[in-house]
Amino acid sequence: MKRLKPFTYFEPASLSEAIEILAERGNEAYALAGGTDLLVRMKRGEIRPSALVNIKGIRDLDQIRNEPGRGTHVGPLVTIAGIGNDLRLCSSHPVITEAARVLGSPSIRTMATLGGNIGRASPASDMAPALIVLGARVAIGGTAGKREQSVEDIFSGPGTLRIQAGELISSFFLPEIAPRSGAAYLKIGRREGMDCALVGVAVQITLGEKEKEAIDGRIALASVGPVPLRAARAEKVLFSGPLTEDRIKEVARVASDEADPIDDMRASAWYRREMVRVLSSRALQKALARAEGGKEG
Amino acid sequence: MTIAIDIKVNGEQYRVELEPQTTLLELLRDSLRLTGTKEGCGLGECGACVVLVQGRPVNSCLMLAADANGCDVVTIEGLTMNGALHPLQQSFVDEGAIQCGFCTPAMVLSAKALLDRNPEPVEEEIKEALSGVLCRCGSYNKIIRAVQSAAERTRQSV
Amino acid sequence: MKTGHVGRSVPRLDALDKVTGSALYGFDIELPGMFYGATLRSPCSHAKIIHVDISEAIKAPGVRAVITGKDFPFTFGGSIKDQPFLAIDKVRYIGEPVAAVAAETEAEAQDAVERIRVTYEDLPAVFDPREAAGEDAPLLHPDLGEYTRFGPYDVVPGTNICTIRRYKHGNVEKGFSDADEVFEDEFSAHSVSHSTIETHCAAARYEPVSGEFTIWSSNDRPHRAIRELANAVGIPINHIRLIVPYVGGSFGGKSTLVAEAIAIALARFTKGRPVKATFSREEELTATQSRVAAWMKIKTGVTKSGVLTARKAEVFWDNGAYASYAPGVALRGGLTVFGPYRIPNLELDSRLVYTNKMIAGAYRGYGTTQVTWACESQMDMIAHKLGLDPLEFRLGNGYVENDRYINGQVLRDVGLKETLEKASREIGWGSGRKRISASRFRGKGIATTIKGTVTPTESFCIIRLNNDASITLLMSSAEIGGGQKTVLAQIAADTIGVPIESISVQNPDTFVTPYDHAVASSRTTYHMGNAVRSASQQLREKILQVAATLLGLDCNRLSLAEGKVFEEGKGERMHLDALMSKRFGGKGGEILAEGYYTSAGSPLLAAYSGLEGMSSIFWMYGTHAAEVEVDVETGIVKVLKIAAAHDLGRAINPMTCEQQIEGAVVMGLSNTLFEEFILAGGRVLNDTLSDYKLATARDVPDIVPIIVETRHTEGPFGAKGLGEPAAAATAPAIANAIYEAVGVRIKDLPITPEKLLAALKRKKVAN
Repeated sequence: MKRLKPFTYFEPASLSEAIEILAERGNEAYALAGGTDLLVRMKRGEIRPSALVNIKGIRDLDQIRNEPGRGTHVGPLVTIAGIGNDLRLCSSHPVITEAARVLGSPSIRTMATLGGNIGRASPASDMAPALIVLGARVAIGGTAGKREQSVEDIFSGPGTLRIQAGELISSFFLPEIAPRSGAAYLKIGRREGMDCALVGVAVQITLGEKEKEAIDGRIALASVGPVPLRAARAEKVLFSGPLTEDRIKEVARVASDEADPIDDMRASAWYRREMVRVLSSRALQKALARAEGGKEG
Repeated sequence: MTIAIDIKVNGEQYRVELEPQTTLLELLRDSLRLTGTKEGCGLGECGACVVLVQGRPVNSCLMLAADANGCDVVTIEGLTMNGALHPLQQSFVDEGAIQCGFCTPAMVLSAKALLDRNPEPVEEEIKEALSGVLCRCGSYNKIIRAVQSAAERTRQSV
Repeated sequence: MKTGHVGRSVPRLDALDKVTGSALYGFDIELPGMFYGATLRSPCSHAKIIHVDISEAIKAPGVRAVITGKDFPFTFGGSIKDQPFLAIDKVRYIGEPVAAVAAETEAEAQDAVERIRVTYEDLPAVFDPREAAGEDAPLLHPDLGEYTRFGPYDVVPGTNICTIRRYKHGNVEKGFSDADEVFEDEFSAHSVSHSTIETHCAAARYEPVSGEFTIWSSNDRPHRAIRELANAVGIPINHIRLIVPYVGGSFGGKSTLVAEAIAIALARFTKGRPVKATFSREEELTATQSRVAAWMKIKTGVTKSGVLTARKAEVFWDNGAYASYAPGVALRGGLTVFGPYRIPNLELDSRLVYTNKMIAGAYRGYGTTQVTWACESQMDMIAHKLGLDPLEFRLGNGYVENDRYINGQVLRDVGLKETLEKASREIGWGSGRKRISASRFRGKGIATTIKGTVTPTESFCIIRLNNDASITLLMSSAEIGGGQKTVLAQIAADTIGVPIESISVQNPDTFVTPYDHAVASSRTTYHMGNAVRSASQQLREKILQVAATLLGLDCNRLSLAEGKVFEEGKGERMHLDALMSKRFGGKGGEILAEGYYTSAGSPLLAAYSGLEGMSSIFWMYGTHAAEVEVDVETGIVKVLKIAAAHDLGRAINPMTCEQQIEGAVVMGLSNTLFEEFILAGGRVLNDTLSDYKLATARDVPDIVPIIVETRHTEGPFGAKGLGEPAAAATAPAIANAIYEAVGVRIKDLPITPEKLLAALKRKKVAN
């Protein structure tokens, strides 16, 4: 198999040290988290870093910390397995654990990190749609200091983030979810095990006083555009009235319309659009059932 | 550039000097001559290289040896205690879960990681635990039965 | 007295090595002073090589040798000698080896390969075999007529047709006019990858003074591989030694010279130091071998009561750039298009065609899988149109004992009906389509298959009874995963009369283990089993002669069981180790026996005059019944259960038989639903396992293997074979089940959710 080419190797002890090294070397240096994307790209010859900065030695980047009344902070080095198995997150932000549990394989989940997954900025990321429907925000550290933005706005293109060389994701923030909320993440692939999302749909809704009426809600799509997509037009239909079977169908239809897939070697744009429609409907039904209290759709 | 790492493999402590681009898989197979761990793709897509680090399954082809510094690694060679087979190994033999055997070490270790955490898994949980290791000989159903049998055997002996 | 080993699920002899990680595979071979090989491969589908510049590569760190086709200008081939070790003056597929590097480390070899510069001049390329068979198609092998052939393959010089087989029996036109209905359909079976988890790997050493090669390789037919090599470079066979460690799967893919070719060519230039070439997964998926894709047109005549009257088939087989073992697929595999059915009028036009793509060669099923897809799909289409039960339709036309095969061979030990009955019973045949929810429907489907084995072939073995009564079985059947070692040891143990624990089975080493055709064609239990039986009988006789002499008794009063000599009426007389001790004394010795089996000349092969070549020493029958659930909104097919009944003659080891059946079902299911090469012209786009998808543990259904035993008269303890038939029936069983569930017929493999969804939408629109 392909052997990795040599690189200069750093194990910074602090975030500022890591940022300094990355800023100095620009595009030649990459931050190494789980390695499950980075090492693959290196072996395939897609990138040739002259330096790798292993950030796993930096303390406190792997913590999950709840701030009561506000939300939960998740460090970028929390592994996907760590998220999937976290009982607190499972209870407070279930859509993120649901997405984490269907990513890759058990061994990949042991190694892969949330920061690495978002950093890879694949439009097929399972974690991105979950974070988007949670209204998650991301803190980014750099030589100029810290800044913050919503996860939804951080993707600029397939594999690229609105992030400079020398900047590092330092933390994720998941705002607390209102009561009477329900969410679901569904993905579809060619096989059941170990598959990248051919299409992924995350839905989160919050019900109000009136039956089946959503007062808040978000829909995000994976693999149907250059970046993880927020289906804003479909969301508008969510709020247009009670979530009857017909309205759910309409939401799904608009989401399918809003999706921007291409034909590629895995599927045609037509099939992806169809799957957006089907998965949006199913995910919304599931989210609704969960919001209404307990029973699976 | 070389780095030095301290690593415990199958209960034995080692200090190895290597170049940073060395993967854990290369350390195990090339430096320590533990050839029980295999490589099928080098990209984390087949699972043949799975070993346990701190009791959890990893694709050793995607892990730098440097990241195993200070860690406890278990490979298939580490499962035989004083010459006796681990219950999983015995079950794999008894249930006919081995054909060409190339995926066997990774399957056994993946199952071990599961049973160490969840001694009474349901079938779906077993399938999920094994989902990252490909078996082209198609032994999956017998492997699942072997895991169930080992779990049963361990339950009875407790 | 303990019952024998034959018929019992004796734990596999190789299991302990494998489960402890101590089994050494080709992948693990490590030799003193070994270099690592890496290959530069063609980026062009069809081009002249204008210039290869190795000047930068040869200077690269750690490099010991850089070679091109001009340095090692030999060609080889399993069937037709058409394939260069390294491309010489032109390349014929993307991925063809053009140059190779031997270096101190694998990383250095890979780096050096990147520094080689090649200039190509593109030639027009052709990718579809139907097009490539045409007169105006670009020619891949202008010298086709001059190539040496190792079998009765009819090539058509001046074209890309590298094997053509025409066969006629009776009069199909009359058959069609006698029919009440005539069905004409086109099907296609796609190319798939063997995708063994152990990639191709080989190490070779060339001794410059004696001119001898030693090769370590995961190869399923070592004697044929060394013959290919000997033929190619013009050295005697006794100058080549091939050692086969454990093989991490073959399925037909590790049959010819693949990684061996690179290692051998490089070893020639490293002054006696060994070179190892290990293929990456990308090379595995783009530059090894694949299954021969087929386009099939089938015309079948049938009476309204469901009796088949005639079948005419036209098949185009896609060979890729070189012949490899594909000619036999076109020559023999194609005949299975007629299925295990009595059809009086037959016609076949089978053409294997070169195209500018990865080589297609031997793959589990050897052509049967592809034509069974077509045959069994059409059988269901016919049954549905005529309003007949697909099971009854097959039972009505299926072979029974003493029917004649298409060439007149009398069929014996025909377990076809039993497999049909048992599989259909297990699946609960006749329940019809079921609606599970608004979007999910279930259905059941059935398909049956017949397969023979390559006939005639030879197997030899040697058994050594060592000084201490331990036994060494020397034979060249590699342990490729099917339990070959165990089954053969069971046969030896029971025939000699010793406990199986006293037998050790060595890995093949062509200097030591005698000739065997191959572990292929489901032939090993039968052929090597018979050779082992023959040697075992000889050994047993020799032992009893010695015992008779030592005991001063008539040989006829003695028997051997459990490693002890018994006298009739008196009981145990002597242990085998005591016998050896007494016979040879302190100076030691051993007793040798040899065994040989060939199917040539067997009366079972008798057929119509001149057509004996189409006979098979045994025929295997198998039926798969599948239950599927289709999600009509996504097109996703979930296979719930497959009942797989196989007539294998006699289960020497029921457990290993189950392994074969289950394993082949999983492979068949994976081939059918998840796998395909996605091509852009001649380039494979999905060259990783994330995009060439194999079934995982979460994708497998409930599989019920059902063993049917018909006791072959000449097989060892009645055994026939098993390895391949289970690969064939799965695809059509699934397709037929999908048809029952949702009324849609997919005729071109693979069955993908997108294809199915599109077909469902079209059906909805049509209704």
